[in-house]
Amino acid sequence: MSSRAWIFLGIFIIAIAFFIWSAYRRFRVIGLGQPENRFDARGKRIRSMLLYPFAQLCTLSRSYLFSINHAIFFWSFLVLVVANILTVLGGLFPRLLPTGPYPVLALIFELAWVIALLSITVSLLRRLVFRPKYTLPMSPDAAITMSLFVVLMVGYFGLHASQIVQGIEKGGAFMPVSNWLAATFMGNTSIGAAESSGNVFWWLFSIGLLGFIDYLAYTKHTHMLASIPNCYFRSLEKVTTQPREDFEKSKTLGVGQIDQFRWTDLLDTFACTECGRCTDNCPATATDKPLNPRTVIHDLKYNLAKNGQLLLNKKEAVLPLIGSDHEGSVATDAIWSCTTCGACMEMCPVFIEHVPKIVGMRRYLVEEKSQFPEELGKLFENMRQRSNPWGIPPTDRARWALGLKVKPFLTGRTEYLFYVGCAGAFNARARQTTQSIARILDAANISWGTLGISEKCCGDSVRRLGYEFNYDKMVKENIKMFQDKGIKKIITSCPHCFSTFKNDYRQYGVELEVIHYSELVNRLIEEDKLPLNESVDLGKVVFHDSCYLGRYNGIYEAPRNVLKAVSGKAPLEMGRHHERGFCCGAGGGRMWMEENLGTRINTKRVEEALKEDPKVICACCPYCVTMFEDGLKDKKASDTVKVLDLAEIVAGALKESK
Amino acid sequence: MSDLDYQGVWVFIEQKNGAAAAVSWELLGAGAELAKTLDVELSAVVIGDKVEHLCQEAFSYGAAKAYLMDDPVFHYYRTEPYYKSVCQLINKYKPEIVLLGSTSLGRDLAGAVATELKTGLTEGCTKLGIDEKRLLLMTRPAYSGNIMATVVTEHARPQMATIRPRAMAMPEKDTNRRGEIIREPAAIREESIGVKVLEVIDSSQQGSGTVNLTNAEIIICGGRGVQSKENFQLLQDLADAMGGKVACTRAAVEDEIAPFNLWVGQSGVTVRPKVYIACGVSGAIQHLAGMRDSGVIIAINYDRQAPIYEVSTYGIEGDCLQVVPAMTNYVKELRAKKAN
Repeated sequence: MSSRAWIFLGIFIIAIAFFIWSAYRRFRVIGLGQPENRFDARGKRIRSMLLYPFAQLCTLSRSYLFSINHAIFFWSFLVLVVANILTVLGGLFPRLLPTGPYPVLALIFELAWVIALLSITVSLLRRLVFRPKYTLPMSPDAAITMSLFVVLMVGYFGLHASQIVQGIEKGGAFMPVSNWLAATFMGNTSIGAAESSGNVFWWLFSIGLLGFIDYLAYTKHTHMLASIPNCYFRSLEKVTTQPREDFEKSKTLGVGQIDQFRWTDLLDTFACTECGRCTDNCPATATDKPLNPRTVIHDLKYNLAKNGQLLLNKKEAVLPLIGSDHEGSVATDAIWSCTTCGACMEMCPVFIEHVPKIVGMRRYLVEEKSQFPEELGKLFENMRQRSNPWGIPPTDRARWALGLKVKPFLTGRTEYLFYVGCAGAFNARARQTTQSIARILDAANISWGTLGISEKCCGDSVRRLGYEFNYDKMVKENIKMFQDKGIKKIITSCPHCFSTFKNDYRQYGVELEVIHYSELVNRLIEEDKLPLNESVDLGKVVFHDSCYLGRYNGIYEAPRNVLKAVSGKAPLEMGRHHERGFCCGAGGGRMWMEENLGTRINTKRVEEALKEDPKVICACCPYCVTMFEDGLKDKKASDTVKVLDLAEIVAGALKESK
Repeated sequence: MSDLDYQGVWVFIEQKNGAAAAVSWELLGAGAELAKTLDVELSAVVIGDKVEHLCQEAFSYGAAKAYLMDDPVFHYYRTEPYYKSVCQLINKYKPEIVLLGSTSLGRDLAGAVATELKTGLTEGCTKLGIDEKRLLLMTRPAYSGNIMATVVTEHARPQMATIRPRAMAMPEKDTNRRGEIIREPAAIREESIGVKVLEVIDSSQQGSGTVNLTNAEIIICGGRGVQSKENFQLLQDLADAMGGKVACTRAAVEDEIAPFNLWVGQSGVTVRPKVYIACGVSGAIQHLAGMRDSGVIIAINYDRQAPIYEVSTYGIEGDCLQVVPAMTNYVKELRAKKAN
């Protein structure tokens, strides 16, 4: 081996050892997190890793135009990884380079460099000249990383140009850029000078490369390394609901310190690119509330950096996770501003789970600190005592059915339980939806019944608000009731009951067939089992996606199909719809809190709806209906625009039964 | 521990700035009956800063004795000095029954005392009695008021209960009655109390405060249907004529026709007046949650379908802006007739 190889080997070992040490430190602090099994379903996980980071679905599937640039850069970067390794090796062991395919590779590498350079220029222009609001200004980190990248490029081309001048470049004929550089800048260079310049460029390149690798581990560009495992260890459940809390062991409830998160949550923080798509879609951020999902993840990462090593050494954390103004601490107002709408998670390219983290911190505030917005005291009390948010006597639960022929669920005889839900039972407005659903079910001759006054709340709000202890009790009671009565199929009116039964109750080992009425009605229409009038003229109808129906459960088309079948035309879409639908503002228990910070989310959504100049705003959720009606009143538009639940529209189109 | 070691009925006299809460006198009335049945003495527990005059007032409402702890440490209510002092009194004098008002102060104190003494406490009672075994029967609504539960504390002593304000009749006041004052030193010194009161923000001084609403017996509530700030004066006139208070709904606050601190509802104030008149209130569930337990609910709304009619005792279908002034005039007429 040449002396150059020995010197390089020494530096190489030091650099790689440093990199491994950095990575190991990261690995250790991630290990501080609580256990979570993400080692199952290997096949699915490998697939997810291939599709998302490697095939770039992570960015391409999130409907941002700029993603194309990222994908192009990523792929050229992958090619350059090979190019770089070969270049380093070629300098050390010149005979090692494969002679056959090498010229072709050389061409590909040069092209990759050019494409990468173009793509970086586009990124740079985007950050510096036409920066979208949701992105951060260029950080020093990014400037250094980019500079290192340019150093690498200079080294690479300088080396090959020098070799061309020396006449020892095997792929010389296939290197247009290097050839051009050699001709333009090194025309008069002697072979000896070219040899030494080649040497310099090779060292520049090699050291630059090692520096680049080492530096990566300390910047937001760690995402290049961490996002790949993060896509592997992602939650495979479509809705990334919060984990159960263990009340048996005596430990802190919720997350009040960074090491009380799960290890996957900590890995998330390293995978974050700070791209800002979460923030761009967050209804709280959009209405000037103190919550910014990207900042939350950044703060957790910062907190981990400050406290991680201390905690590993069994010392006390120095930076509080919650409540301080310092960077690295999450403000309580931010924690309470979340509507759990899930837009952040839906848009995150690397499957970061923001909402479970926020709910985890809420749990700590509620269960350990008794620290929550005053209004929630009443809600929690009502939930505990009367199992509904308003504290209405449970005996009023069946009042919606007065004058209707509603049967109780009979074990072995009734097929579907129609779970009415608190809003559907008590709220006069939502009762109209409930009654409509009852009419639809009867018109389709479905065997259904209700639990009458023994129905209880599903527990959605208390869970999202972090009062997991009470939720846990509610779930167990409900599951027992379902099992005692032999209930296996449940139709719900409210998307929150729907998602809670379907996704959250599964954590208790029960598999229920839960159907949202919009899906059922869609199926009935497809199977021609619903006697409908030809078509009802509703005027312009705009459809609003409820978060817990759409993003949480992927039900986008069923309600739209129903609207189309009933009114004869597809509903109008607002600016944001489907996966990017904008929350009404009431989810995550926000329904029960005052909205004193920033502007109103529902007002913003109503404004978006009014842009389409509709006669009817259609939603499938009692919360959304309430928020829209309130918003329209604020906008003084409640006389011209009606808010209707899909069920009301369908019931209005039913042929009169004989 | 024998039950016989514990004797007598105590009533805790709740006070703020030297003025007693009415519920304390109501409890002396109820306590007197219990004491009579048990053939024991009725005593008042007076704790505060410069509150000796309350002992005499307690005698005039029927107490035979007053245990007095008068110390600057009690100037503002703080759980620690109060509960420690009450516990010390109970441990020394061993009453068999201790009654407190079911107010925020009373509930806080009673819970702390009962926990410290490891005895039973029944919260929010509406009726008290004595059974043949001399046990205190404490009756309170349970299951959303659907049933009444009667609770006894069989073994532990004292038997403790908090009683809702206005559940018991106010006894006759007789200023000629005298009693014995037993002075005791405070159980705790200022230095050893962890909580310091820096400032008391009196919500009743911020406009017409919410505190007044919770105690009001008659409430005239205006919703979006009142339409303007000026029209709220019509409601105020009716409230003045009837001796009630004006409240509003969230929608009225949103429309900026009524102030925030008058807001009744889920996240506003919860009220339970004897008479609640809802003017131009549609009855959104969030509002109903804050007033549905009122005694008589009178709804004035032109929309027969408005959900407010589901909870109302009486309904007046019409424009509240016409109905309310008519009611005011009628009430004034009645008052004038009565005065004559």
